[in-house]
Amino acid sequence: MTETEVREKLRQFILADLIKDPKYALTDDEGVVSGGLIDSFALAEIGVFAEQEFNVYIPDPDLTVAKMNTLNLMTARIMRDIK
Amino acid sequence: MDLAQIAVMLAAAALYLMILPARWRGWALMIGSVVAIYWLQPSLAIRWLDYALPTAILAITMLGWYFTLPQDVKPMRADIAAFTVTILIVLTLSLTRYIDVPLQLTTRPPPLETVAAALAALLLGGVLLRRFLPPKALLWLAMIGLIVLFGVVKTPALAQEAARLLRLNAGQDSTLAAGSELAWLGFSYVAFRLIQTIRDRQSGILPALSLSEYLTFIVFAPAFTAGPIARAENFTESFRALPGMTGRDAQRITVGLSRIAAGMFKKFVIADSLAAFSLSPVLAEQAQTTGSLWVMLYAYGFRLFFDFSGYTDIAIGLGILFGILLPENFDRPYLKNNITTFWQSWHKSLSDWVRFYVYSPLSRSMLRRKPKPSNYVIIFISTAATMVVIGLWHEVAIPFLIWGVWHAGGLFTHKVWSDKTRAWYRGLTAGRKRIWTAAGVLITLQFVMLGWVWFAMPTVNQALAVFAGLFGLNLGGAP
Amino acid sequence: MMPGWDWLTRAKYTGGFMLRVLLKAAILFAIINLLFALTNPIPALGMISIYNLLSPGRLRLPYGESESSYNLSLYDLNAMFASHTLNGRHNPDEAAVLVMGDSAVWGMLLENKDTLASCLDSRALSVDGRPARFYNIGYPTLSAAKDLLLLDRAMEYQPDLILWLVTLENMPRREQLATPLAQNNAAAMRDLIAAYDLDLDASDPRFVDLDFIGRTLIGQRRALADWWRLQLYAFPWAQTGIDQVIGDYTPRSNDFDEDATWYELAGAEQLDDTTLAFDVLNAGIARAGNVPVMMINEPIFVADGVNSDIRYNFWYPRWAYDRYRELMREHADAEGWTYLDLWDAVPPDEFTDSPVHLTPEGTQMLCGQIAEALP
Repeated sequence: MTETEVREKLRQFILADLIKDPKYALTDDEGVVSGGLIDSFALAEIGVFAEQEFNVYIPDPDLTVAKMNTLNLMTARIMRDIK
Repeated sequence: MDLAQIAVMLAAAALYLMILPARWRGWALMIGSVVAIYWLQPSLAIRWLDYALPTAILAITMLGWYFTLPQDVKPMRADIAAFTVTILIVLTLSLTRYIDVPLQLTTRPPPLETVAAALAALLLGGVLLRRFLPPKALLWLAMIGLIVLFGVVKTPALAQEAARLLRLNAGQDSTLAAGSELAWLGFSYVAFRLIQTIRDRQSGILPALSLSEYLTFIVFAPAFTAGPIARAENFTESFRALPGMTGRDAQRITVGLSRIAAGMFKKFVIADSLAAFSLSPVLAEQAQTTGSLWVMLYAYGFRLFFDFSGYTDIAIGLGILFGILLPENFDRPYLKNNITTFWQSWHKSLSDWVRFYVYSPLSRSMLRRKPKPSNYVIIFISTAATMVVIGLWHEVAIPFLIWGVWHAGGLFTHKVWSDKTRAWYRGLTAGRKRIWTAAGVLITLQFVMLGWVWFAMPTVNQALAVFAGLFGLNLGGAP
Repeated sequence: MMPGWDWLTRAKYTGGFMLRVLLKAAILFAIINLLFALTNPIPALGMISIYNLLSPGRLRLPYGESESSYNLSLYDLNAMFASHTLNGRHNPDEAAVLVMGDSAVWGMLLENKDTLASCLDSRALSVDGRPARFYNIGYPTLSAAKDLLLLDRAMEYQPDLILWLVTLENMPRREQLATPLAQNNAAAMRDLIAAYDLDLDASDPRFVDLDFIGRTLIGQRRALADWWRLQLYAFPWAQTGIDQVIGDYTPRSNDFDEDATWYELAGAEQLDDTTLAFDVLNAGIARAGNVPVMMINEPIFVADGVNSDIRYNFWYPRWAYDRYRELMREHADAEGWTYLDLWDAVPPDEFTDSPVHLTPEGTQMLCGQIAEALP
């Protein structure tokens, strides 16, 4: 899977399932948790999404606001471990 | 930590920064911490116990390192050296039984043969377990063992039984046994650090650590008494940078000393003054008016903050002096406008730990279930489990359980409220937002303060009596 | 790096900076210590008090050193009196009566409601036609000079009557300065010695004279800490009314050794104005000026056990106490004192752990006798 594909799938998931606002213009470096768009429980949902969609297991200590706050960070993390 | 202990650590830091050759820093921290835990442990009534408990921590920690070594990794020379040095320190300290030294770190230790035999048995047992158990089973066994030990130490009834058995073993009067005799300094934190390393090894993210790094991470002296709970990878990063660190660095020394000074003021001036009228079982019973109970309650809440955050400042400041960056524990918690951000800024290192090892895994395993339960069910269960763990970590007793449930209720309520009002809140004017923020701060403060009643009172009845008094019903001391 | 501590970590520090900070701190510290030593602000600080402002005043002077009693012993008279209810506003239509004495008056082993002053206060008595309010300024330790010291300070509150309870054990001249309160208020004591030409040694080695270092901030840290603690105890005092933890006690001895000496004296002829500090009593009356002083010989425990034929109690052999009573009567007559001899006013059962400490019932009896004698 290419990086663009990963990024788009993440964006879709966040807009549809987490923010629940498909029309929201989410930029790649926007802080989703720190900006109040989603809360930290949603990070767990993103973790499970990464497992089920990309077969990438992100350990719990890495599911923090600091490490997963923006689309860029999330994509980079998944690309690191994706096979 | 008291003033004398801080002074000694400051003196040690001065020597460490000014005189000690850089390449010995790691060793100095390890050896210093190993010796320090004996010195910090208060003396206990049960014979040998104030020597045995720190020794037990060291033995368990060395086993923990050995169990969390990746299967294909063998101990290196440096690890053997660290092991030897630690054992030598333990055995040498036991020699104070026979030789009178001006500085006694513990009460009279047990005979050398006993110490050697106990250590040999434990360590040999560990080697055999690792040899014959599959790695997964070994780690689970270690984790369960730690949790059981934690349960025994932290449950008053079990601790009393353990004290009774220890007294029998020592030939002392077992009818005098009390749970408080098992005052194992630092154990709560050590146990959680060890469990952290086990879990991180199980999920594959634990870096490869030498024994010296592992041991120092677990028993680092400034953080030994009451945290913060660092993460192994962060601690090790600082630890490995020690030889290259500039010792006589004005920045480091100024920041470190300033933190320590701030912490000392908070702890020894503000907190100790508030102690005169903080809620306590004695004062609660003597209280005569509702107003006074409220004053005492708020005094308790602020005293707890200043005492703990002052201690943390001192620990972090000392860490900075030694070159180790410890994580923060507090971030203006009483100024937060909701309970969720409160818990992201109160005893952060503990709540982060519980989030990584209870909340997040539990949430994810429930999210994976087919059919997926509703989000609110998942959040409710995870939040309740998390807060109960935090509560019972302090002590396995009903008031702490209720405290945990109290906060879980608050967190869940806030989560629901937050979800329902997120869009509406985004649409508010700045002025309106400020009003809501202010209201949030007051409500959160009140909620947290009321929660402290369960912390301050040792039994449910006393806590209920305080609540009754706070709300104007039935005042006048419980019988 | 450290969230919330940016103000600290953002700046750049150099060795020079640290040195300047240390230097400035050292100089500032030296200056503060010097100023402290020169100006001696402790008495002025003592006048600042939470008591009578945010909390009710204490009903007796602070004394004692256990945390559970929310009390402490300190030596600064200003702080002590500032915390006392005497310092609060009182009604000018009321007559203020000071009740002075030793630990029996202070109320050792008695709650505030059972002290002599409280008992008198509860009887709605009047002095000179005005309703009387009684203030307990008793203080443990046995010394008439200590009473004089407290009286001297208390006169600022313009009392209308003073009840001064004494006993023989207050009187030995060589013990006058044995009490820490007097030793630590050397200047005031010396002033009194000079003003009333007392036969006490102004250069007595027991006086605590602070050298320069002792007068600095560092030297006075205990006094400062004591003042602070006294203020902190205002809240528990207001809330609980506890200023003494009353536990079990050993009752006064009823049997004695066959020893009839008193402070190494053996004969009545050795008790006179040289050995007993009557000049201090007279100085007190003089200090009171126009305010009438009622001198009261407080009740003592009369034993009936072994050797009780030569001793009244653990403190007093019979000859000494009888002689003392004679001398008191002589002085009262000669100096024109208002004198009340209540030495046997309370039966032996109503004493607690010392020859003068009374039970609540005993205090009631004493109280009744005094009440009858009031002007």
